[in-house]
Amino acid sequence: MITGGIDVGSLSSEAVLLKDGEILSYSIINTGADARKAAEQVYQTALEKAGLQSSDVDAVVATGYGRLVVPFATKQVTEISCHARGAFFLFPEVRTVIDIGGQDSKVIRIDGRGNVVDFVMNDKCAAGTGRFLEVIARALELSVAELGKEGEKATRVAEISSMCTVFAESEVVSLIAQGVPRPEIVRGLHQAIAERTAGLVQRVGIVPEVVMTGGVAKNSGVVAALSQKLGVKVLVPQEPQIVGALGAALLAQKLAQ
Amino acid sequence: MDLYEFMRGILREQRWGKVLSSPLTYQLVEKALWLARKGFRWRATYLMARFALAQTKKAYTGEAPVVWTSAFFPVEIVWGLGLCLFSPEVAAAFITSLGFADQALSQADQKGYSRDLCSFHRCIAGAAADGYLPPPAALVASTHLCDGAPLLFQNLAEHYKVPYLVLDVPYESTPEAEKYVAHQLAQIWNTLAEITDRRPDIGSLARAVDYSNQFRNHLEAVNTLRCRIPAPIQGSEMLNYLYLFFAGQGHKEAAAVFACLERELESAVDSENRERFRLLWLHLKPYHKGELMHFLEKEAGCSIAFEEMSHVYWPPLDPVNPFPSLARKILSHFAYKPLEWRIAVVDALARKYQVDGIVHFSHWGCRQSCGGSLILRDALQEKGWPVLLLDGDCLDQRNEAPGAVLTRAQAFLEVLEGRKEGSGGIAEK
Repeated sequence: MITGGIDVGSLSSEAVLLKDGEILSYSIINTGADARKAAEQVYQTALEKAGLQSSDVDAVVATGYGRLVVPFATKQVTEISCHARGAFFLFPEVRTVIDIGGQDSKVIRIDGRGNVVDFVMNDKCAAGTGRFLEVIARALELSVAELGKEGEKATRVAEISSMCTVFAESEVVSLIAQGVPRPEIVRGLHQAIAERTAGLVQRVGIVPEVVMTGGVAKNSGVVAALSQKLGVKVLVPQEPQIVGALGAALLAQKLAQ
Repeated sequence: MDLYEFMRGILREQRWGKVLSSPLTYQLVEKALWLARKGFRWRATYLMARFALAQTKKAYTGEAPVVWTSAFFPVEIVWGLGLCLFSPEVAAAFITSLGFADQALSQADQKGYSRDLCSFHRCIAGAAADGYLPPPAALVASTHLCDGAPLLFQNLAEHYKVPYLVLDVPYESTPEAEKYVAHQLAQIWNTLAEITDRRPDIGSLARAVDYSNQFRNHLEAVNTLRCRIPAPIQGSEMLNYLYLFFAGQGHKEAAAVFACLERELESAVDSENRERFRLLWLHLKPYHKGELMHFLEKEAGCSIAFEEMSHVYWPPLDPVNPFPSLARKILSHFAYKPLEWRIAVVDALARKYQVDGIVHFSHWGCRQSCGGSLILRDALQEKGWPVLLLDGDCLDQRNEAPGAVLTRAQAFLEVLEGRKEGSGGIAEK
């Protein structure tokens, strides 16, 4: 049985193809301005990588904010259920999933069978999300991928008090003007995100194992700051960005049965 | 037919305030309502609309002195004096349901009302500033449950330059508190009579109290009928009866609406209702054009089996002793007590209506309901109930992220589905 999962996020879209529980292929692209087109494109890329046709796929589950615009999906499931399912598949001991995506962050509590027991979402603003990092990285003339390494160079931490994306950008510009070294600013940024995320985690309670998913989990600086703040090791999958799509593909297996 | 759909169909007008504040509008709508009366699913809805329209027309024509009352003030006092009652909070929900809230809210912004305030109150402030609400002879507000209304009413009393009366309700329900509240109610009754040049007739007040008891009895009967599975009426429909809860108690027509609904529910069979999940709804619902209620009840196949708002929490009133009796009613409100009371009531309602989960619609700016929502959620979860705290705004859609509200709601239903299946799996629709 072959199934697919499509996660159409605000910044990026991912597709995962599974055959009997094994990942056949995956694909990640920027969503851009047309979520429907992104869904079709990312799915097509994953199919090509696996050498498959869409007719070979038994069921597809769509997730993410653009889940409703995926015309070929068998079913739409929220990213909360999909991230839980994907994280549980990769780490059966996981009980807390932290997903920081492009425009929101979620903390999901799951039980010993991978069921979602509780969840909280922060979607009031983009503070601490992928979009936030993107804006700040641009102000620092770095790519998002470079932030982790840059922060490691710091010997001190600059304080960033504002978590509003717009105000934080102004604060970073002020720090640059004051001559604060860039690594210190980056480290401050990571701590600020960890602080905010830890607050969200505490609303559902910290139960190990804790797994972080979503694109921001690729930033080692944020993961380290969050581990320190929570007092537990935060596990990160090899490719944290595809966990939602993986969960969707796993849920599609059930539909195809 | 949806009541607000019907109204929107008639009031397609840019200058909404002028239309809403014209008595002619209500005469025309009354006629149109009568012609369309058979299109409503429930005759009770037609009766409520007729009652509300008649009262609103009366308020704008100035047939009787108009008294504005805050949401939780015991309106039997006002009806007992034969005055015209206007509930601005209900009017705000009505303006929103007709799709005119944005203009009133923008006007409130321009007047300097903080957007952190409850949108019911901002909407009222904006509409009042534009001169679209019926001018009051007096305003009365109660301090219990809602802390924003007494201050807004003070602002509005200054705006209209009319007397403002406050009912100060102590937090603790003691015999002394009851006497204190009863004494104030008597004073307010006399003062309103004086302001409006009415004779304070205790017989009229006793009649209003009697109507209030009839309202209570019929509502209780309706609530009992709603224990049926599948639910005979949806929670979102019941939450459209807001006018009766906040402004109808003590008027014979409000009692007649629930008497009618009781008769209708006795014979109602909703065979089309798949009832995928039964939900208990806490606090109010969005009155704007958001998709949440439609998603839950129509797309996801859920029943809002019951809502906290409809719970009969107070004992029957005594027409012979109206003031102490009304004081007891006010002080018995389960949400104006330590949170354990609300937890116990919600738990009991969840059991009574055999729900699968509980949704707390956390209206932006409403401290009285949302302040304790985290403790409420934890306590109910400990009792085994799945709980969703759904942040939103009843009137101001700008305070909501529509996609996020639906994602939360859908994810909650997935949690319920997993519990039902016991496997965490997600069933097909």
